[in-house]
Amino acid sequence: MKAEADKSVKSDKSVTGVRGFTRVRAAGASLLAMGLAAGLAGCAPSTSSGGGGQDDKSGTVRVWLFREVGNEPKEKVVDKVADRFEEQHDGVEVDVQYIPIDSRAEKIKGAFNDPASAPDVIEYGNTDTAGYVADGGLADISDEFGSWGAARALDPTAKKSVTVEGKQYGLPLFVGVRALYYRTDVFEELGLEPPRTLDELAATAKRIRAAHEDMYGIAVGGAYTYGAMPFIWAHGGELAREKGGSFTSALDAAPAKKGIRAYTSLFGDDNCPAGKCAKMGGNETVEVFAGGKAGMAIGGDFNRQAMENGKVEGEYGVVPLPGVEKGDIAPAFAGGNNIGVLKSTEHRTLAVRLAEQLAGKRTQEQLFEAMGFLPTFSDTRRQVAEREPFVKPFVRTLDAGTEFVPASPAWGTIDSSLILPEMFQRIVSGKDDVAGAAAAAAEKMDEAFAE
Amino acid sequence: MSAPASPPTSADAHAPVPGHRFRRRIRKPWRLAAECAAVLIALLVAFPLYWMVLSAFKPAGEIRSDRPVPWTLTPTLDSFRRVFAQQEFGRYFLNSLLVAGAVVLASALIAFLAATAVTRFRFRLRTTLLVLFLAAQMVPVEALTIPLFFLMRDVGALNSLLSLILPHLAFSLPFAIWMLRGFVKAVPEALEEQAFIDGASRTRFLWQILFPLVFPGLVATSVFSFISTWNDFLFAKSFIISATENSTLPMALLVFFDTETPDWGGVMAASTVMTLPVLVFFVCVHRRLVSGLGGAVK
Amino acid sequence: MSVATGGAKSRPRRTPGPADAGGPPRARPARPGRPTGGARRGGWTPWLYLAPALVVLAGLLVYPVYQLGLISVLDYTQAQVSGGEPTSFQGLGNYAELLGDPQFWNVLLATVVFAAACVLGTMTVGCALAVLLTRVRALPRLLLMLAALGAWATPAITGSTVWVFLFDPDFGPVNRVLGLGDFAWTYGRLSAFALVFFEVVWCSFPLVMVTTYAGIRAVPTEVVEAATLDGASVWRTWRSVLAPLLRPILIVVTIQSVIWDFKVFTQIYVMTGGGGIAKQNLVLNVYAYQKAFASSQYSLGSAIGVVMLLILLSVTLLYLKLLRRNGEEI
Repeated sequence: MKAEADKSVKSDKSVTGVRGFTRVRAAGASLLAMGLAAGLAGCAPSTSSGGGGQDDKSGTVRVWLFREVGNEPKEKVVDKVADRFEEQHDGVEVDVQYIPIDSRAEKIKGAFNDPASAPDVIEYGNTDTAGYVADGGLADISDEFGSWGAARALDPTAKKSVTVEGKQYGLPLFVGVRALYYRTDVFEELGLEPPRTLDELAATAKRIRAAHEDMYGIAVGGAYTYGAMPFIWAHGGELAREKGGSFTSALDAAPAKKGIRAYTSLFGDDNCPAGKCAKMGGNETVEVFAGGKAGMAIGGDFNRQAMENGKVEGEYGVVPLPGVEKGDIAPAFAGGNNIGVLKSTEHRTLAVRLAEQLAGKRTQEQLFEAMGFLPTFSDTRRQVAEREPFVKPFVRTLDAGTEFVPASPAWGTIDSSLILPEMFQRIVSGKDDVAGAAAAAAEKMDEAFAE
Repeated sequence: MSAPASPPTSADAHAPVPGHRFRRRIRKPWRLAAECAAVLIALLVAFPLYWMVLSAFKPAGEIRSDRPVPWTLTPTLDSFRRVFAQQEFGRYFLNSLLVAGAVVLASALIAFLAATAVTRFRFRLRTTLLVLFLAAQMVPVEALTIPLFFLMRDVGALNSLLSLILPHLAFSLPFAIWMLRGFVKAVPEALEEQAFIDGASRTRFLWQILFPLVFPGLVATSVFSFISTWNDFLFAKSFIISATENSTLPMALLVFFDTETPDWGGVMAASTVMTLPVLVFFVCVHRRLVSGLGGAVK
Repeated sequence: MSVATGGAKSRPRRTPGPADAGGPPRARPARPGRPTGGARRGGWTPWLYLAPALVVLAGLLVYPVYQLGLISVLDYTQAQVSGGEPTSFQGLGNYAELLGDPQFWNVLLATVVFAAACVLGTMTVGCALAVLLTRVRALPRLLLMLAALGAWATPAITGSTVWVFLFDPDFGPVNRVLGLGDFAWTYGRLSAFALVFFEVVWCSFPLVMVTTYAGIRAVPTEVVEAATLDGASVWRTWRSVLAPLLRPILIVVTIQSVIWDFKVFTQIYVMTGGGGIAKQNLVLNVYAYQKAFASSQYSLGSAIGVVMLLILLSVTLLYLKLLRRNGEEI
């Protein structure tokens, strides 16, 4: 039973000036048939539809960026870009606001809901791309993306992270990637070499644990999805397969299950006891390593400060996470943030141009200097790696090819309903075997994809 | 059980605290045991707080370390610096104070009137109303933010402090009304009769007699509305969208929560800074709570 | 005017009347301005007093709750809210989806048991400490009050984090002090619930303690004195004197605790990492968040909201009915 949607356009000048809101009214008849109160139709839940479509060439361009801990260096870089932009464009002002990362979901939804409060340009986490596109919040900027000179130097996964069904909805700003941290002192003491395959990794981990019973060989976490994914990808598995725009889970396929088995076999008294490790997420494994309780951990380039503050300061090294065969690098998850333009913007041209400058090579290079954010351009990245040896293993990981989460709005649901952590935790706590847990997780993923 | 026969040696016997007559009758060893228990429990309850403050002063690497000692040899103000270095921190603080203050005052007044109405008068729908008041709290707040969002937008309150004051007022009121009902009820009705016989008007009775009598209840409910408003994250991040200058303190705390790289020192320092004003507020009002009625109903 | 002295055992003087809201109010020839005592009909006066509250609550609570019911029968996600997609009528589809989910029933059961334990724990600790407060001198009283207030005032998200830190098997001091070695509290279902239970009681007993204490202060001293003179023990004084007098306050606090503990979110979410190992510690509100709100499925979320509303409403009504059967005036 579907109610006819009767759109009545009502212009609300006091709030939005020229924009109009569409109020969707459900036809009363079918509702009344369900025995609901009369007058319901008059109070249909509010909606707001985009606005936008305008393209003012002057005025204020509003930008939202994430507020990092220790945000000043970022502000300085951004201020320079904004000043330059204002110089280049007469009568244009750039207004930048910084929002806490933890409040981004509510703020950005709020911006979608109330175009009057919305900015023109936003920074957003790249795993949110498909969700925001489905919400109808991000503008399709495929044309501008195609003619953007810098786009050619972007690495393929970065492009993938702004792409939904072949269209681009943003520009990659920086990339975050994980590699293998290890304790140089412990390795030296036990005469170990950084592992070259995942099997060696497991064996090395057990040797460390055997020698130091108060240490985990490699700290792994049952809730550390992004640390576990490389194991699946390294064994040739996938999270999901796309066919004609629709996704199906591939977790219960044989290669993925091999990867899941490899990862979950690291939980146990001979490496990382399930009692303590089943619950851990990415940050906890990093904390355990930084606190000197682990021989190895999978950590990101963004975790460097935690290591420097921790007990392991000066006693750790980083290598790419190895793959199945010698010389292979396990494909890592390419996290990071993008810059997007809101559908509701009234300054489309200006907004896209500003986004291009914010995500441009020069800004990315400066952001690396200021904040340590890895550039999304392969060439820029190689240049900065020359100057800063710490990032080399991460750049090698990126160059070896990275993977991304399924570009489906369902990913948000899959992520927030913790389908993957639940699968890993069921296995490591002995509640289920790999086949059973993978099948159950695949079923839940498919349910989410179907919606 | 009777009053100690010997002249009281404890200072308490002379203390002009209302209700001392009640306490004097308790045998002293018992009181001592009770006081030891109270102090012990206080320490136990305060320990997590101590840990929070301690973590705020510890250097970053010590907060999660395998030597979890309840002290630090190298206290540092770095975490607090990161908290205060946030742009417009003072502004956030003031906004929080304004919102919480407005909610406390408004809810105390409105709830007092409403509580008097439902206690002192009998009318149709009285109990239904009371239960209805609670209904909105039975729903997950996230479910109400969307309707509230559009309501705020339509009345033009979005992005202003009013969009925080109004919902919080609405969420504090039911509890405050229910709570004050109990206190209003405890005031004997004979007192009211007496007041009317003495020729007091209803308004005069309400404000000059009843109001002071239910003050301890007002204090308790005010502490409640203050804390729940002060600590709110959800409305603060949902309704203050573009006007960051109208953000409140929890937003300054949220900055430090980042799933991949949380800054625990910053979290603890910001939380310490947030908790302090509540304690100050309480110390300011607690006299009213303690001295309360005691022997006032005489 | 020593009013309630005689009321130590019996309830304070008050005309016992049917409090049934549905029934006709007791007729009583009321002389305006000169009531003869007892609850009365006040004509327009009660409505005048109620007006501000009604305006605020109707606008900000009743309307949104009404919208909640409406949204729960529609197909309403972020795409409808802001993306310009048409809203369509879903009937009871969202409810069917929810009630047909076996996980929902498991979670509901866990929530009910956990909330009941929390309410019981909170009320017991809160009331016991309130009585304790009346028996100690000013300094210990202030200490305990400040500690409790601190626990109450700490943002839930921070409080939960600190508790997890304290009980951390690798980095926490508690296991060392208790000699528990590297016992992982969050691994077992029961121990994880127990840990959260302690935190919930820690942060919610202060409300009970402070309000109950305020209530005791409002009880005329003579009443308590009379009981103490009779030689009643602390427990008996509480049972037969204080508790009946404080019942209106205790009722409120109990109902509120039920509501809050049934809706517990932050503690479970932070302390068990979003619902525990393999979701063993899920409670209804976290379930709702993961199932609906995090991914902007407002219709399903609203349906869960409506179901929670109905459950809590019936619990509240049942509780009030029980009280009334025992002769308590609501």
